[in-house]
Amino acid sequence: MSDVVTMIRAGDVSVGDRVRTANAMELTVTRVDEEFMGRPNLLALVEDSEAQWLKVAAPRDLELELISRASEREN
Amino acid sequence: MDARWDLTAIDGEPVDSAALEGRALLVVNVASRCGLTPQYEGLERLQRSYGGARFTVLGVPCNQFGGQEPGGAEEIQAFCVATYATSFPLTEKLDVNGRRQHPLYAWLTSAPDGDGRAGEVEWNFEKFLVAPDRQGITRFRPAVEPDDERVVEAIEALLGE
Repeated sequence: MSDVVTMIRAGDVSVGDRVRTANAMELTVTRVDEEFMGRPNLLALVEDSEAQWLKVAAPRDLELELISRASEREN
Repeated sequence: MDARWDLTAIDGEPVDSAALEGRALLVVNVASRCGLTPQYEGLERLQRSYGGARFTVLGVPCNQFGGQEPGGAEEIQAFCVATYATSFPLTEKLDVNGRRQHPLYAWLTSAPDGDGRAGEVEWNFEKFLVAPDRQGITRFRPAVEPDDERVVEAIEALLGE
């Protein structure tokens, strides 16, 4: 099992990516809301699925742990 | 508009719906670890100023925003009382958005905010002021402080003060 942790900037997260936050919340992103609460430097990542509804707000340059990319799972 | 819901208090007991009947409600989804958590102070000031037979704040703990309400019922209640000396009631932890959204929030989120936007709760500490006859909902987004004059004026208008 690899110990390598891949990080991704919040602003680079795409729909379908699965990420883990600093407080260990995991979500598979189904929507990205730009300019969260009217602030251009903030965005919100949302999982709206059967499993959960969870919203995480983050500065665009905040690094999150990337668990998997949508494009990887599709291949 | 169906405005009846079964609610469970944070201690696991059913909320006495008769006790809420005829009262204006300020329903707020709360969280203990949010940057907006100090809004508890303003909510408690509203409860002390207007709380009684005609008005109450009703806190709804929710962990759907940043996972900022991770604790159990006892932890949440202890935090509120110890940190902010809250006296208003809390429900059990609920989903306010998504497929397991509580019926109370299905009803509340049908109401638009001041910009005409209805739908999802945006973040912790969104406020819904519900008229005593349940025929009107005034919605305030999270950044609006509990003691903002718009909130106070809306409460006083409902109470005829």
